[in-house]
Amino acid sequence: MNPMIRKELRQRMRERRGWLLPSLYLLVLGAVVTFAYFIATTDGGRSNIQGSKVGVTLFLTLAYAQLALLLLLVPIFSAGSITIEKEQRTLAGLLTSLLTSAQIWWGKFVSSLLFVLLLLVTSLPVLSLAFAFGGIGPWEIFSTTVTTVLILASMSAIGLYCSSAFQRSVHATAVSYATVTAITVVTAILFFVRMSIYESAHHLAASGWYDIPLDIRAPMYVNPFFFLTTSFAPPKQLYPAWITCAGVFVVLGALAVALTLRNLRHRGDL
Amino acid sequence: MIDVEQIRKGFTGTQALDGFTLHVGAGELFGLVGPNGAGKTTLMKVLSTLLPIDSGTAEIGGLSVTSQRREVKRLIGYLPDQPGVYQDMSVREFLEFFADAFQLTGAHNRTAVGHALERSGLAERSNDSVEQLSFGMKQRLVLAKTLIHDPKVLLLDEPATGLDPIARIELRGQLKQLHAEGITILISSHILSDLEDICTQIALIGEGRNARDTEGNSVIQLRAPQALVRICEIEVLGDSAAAVNILNSVAGARLLESGVGRLLVEIKGHDEQVAALLRALVVGGADVLRFDHRALGLEERYRLAFEGRRP
Repeated sequence: MNPMIRKELRQRMRERRGWLLPSLYLLVLGAVVTFAYFIATTDGGRSNIQGSKVGVTLFLTLAYAQLALLLLLVPIFSAGSITIEKEQRTLAGLLTSLLTSAQIWWGKFVSSLLFVLLLLVTSLPVLSLAFAFGGIGPWEIFSTTVTTVLILASMSAIGLYCSSAFQRSVHATAVSYATVTAITVVTAILFFVRMSIYESAHHLAASGWYDIPLDIRAPMYVNPFFFLTTSFAPPKQLYPAWITCAGVFVVLGALAVALTLRNLRHRGDL
Repeated sequence: MIDVEQIRKGFTGTQALDGFTLHVGAGELFGLVGPNGAGKTTLMKVLSTLLPIDSGTAEIGGLSVTSQRREVKRLIGYLPDQPGVYQDMSVREFLEFFADAFQLTGAHNRTAVGHALERSGLAERSNDSVEQLSFGMKQRLVLAKTLIHDPKVLLLDEPATGLDPIARIELRGQLKQLHAEGITILISSHILSDLEDICTQIALIGEGRNARDTEGNSVIQLRAPQALVRICEIEVLGDSAAAVNILNSVAGARLLESGVGRLLVEIKGHDEQVAALLRALVVGGADVLRFDHRALGLEERYRLAFEGRRP
């Protein structure tokens, strides 16, 4: 086993946030599911509510809420990961050992991602509540989970890049949050603004996603919530939207990994 | 063992190393001194494979620190200035982690950790948290960690910074012991008395280049049988102006300081030149009350080499 992974996991689980964050996370998610259930079952005072509709509502609410929460948590685990070694002056010791830059990165990546995945796994029973109401099958759970993991892995890699580029955890975390905001909020605003300009200019409402010009659609392929939305499609309809998003996130993640390794190799502990 | 030839390393707006050259033989305990910002830490980081160089060559044991980094890492132990520790680990866990990081496995790993605990004198505190150790103990732990893979070359950047006198004495003892074991050591420090006590040679570095002392040497031989420059402390009766005039006529003599009845003179040469200086003073009519001579100490050499260069 990579010694970095063992060290990182040991240190991480000794931190207070090792148990505090999962507890808070489940509490928030529990509150969200209760609220969603309440909204879905008291809709206009109707009595003939279909269980499948409740199931779908619960599932979608949970999937988006879970992604939003995890996107908020990812920078906490990844962006401080390398800067903490710089701050406590231990990075030089790692870099002059026989651990390669890739092993150091992998140890940091696995430990930060595993912690987020721990949160994801603990929420699976909550997500599966939707089963009880129907309307949701194993495929939806599977594709949602895979998509969420892909997004989180990519964001963890970006967080680690910020961590390698800055000296202080506070700066790395701030830039990491700015990146999360840029790809979630800014891309959505950009899309909706350009879309409304396009619709008013052409006096038409686009009937389908692919009727929208690519340059207007493009920012949404970087948007994690859009990526998650594409995963709700049946398996045969994953192409091209889901595949494109997955490609974009893999490329972003790979770029972040390459730049992080470059920083570790060429900047030492600076 | 360590061969550095004309290396240059620049950062934005500064040239940290500007053609520095250094050769350290196997088994030497070699010092490196220079003012703050002279390039000592950058040189240590280059040699420990942490920083790439812009030009020149740097080799340890015949291996390039830029293209054969992994092989070099097996050879060296690097102790940075202000080294860090993992406060939330136990002493044993800390050493075990670095033994793993140097790919020591099984019995070899256990032996190395045991030896490191013994060497650092922390065997009885192996299960204590690193956080509970004193500063001096942490420094011993970090040195033990640096030695865990039995390196042939030690690169120590300001290892005595922040240590109390007892800890400094212990560190000097450890370094002498390691030197006796045949390990090549390159140590940078501002504590010149420590270096003078333990080193065989000392290189001078200033503004990223080889600096030179008054004798024109960029490397000071501390164990040389006879020094080429002597310092004479002279006390004369009355005004020292007459004595100053006399010594100005003595070849190789240079006035370093003068006060009421007191002169500090540097003279190039051996005992004969010192005797000639005393003779010239007496024959010239100076009333010499005291005449003392000694070899130039490291501190004086350093002062003479770097006076006026401080940033």
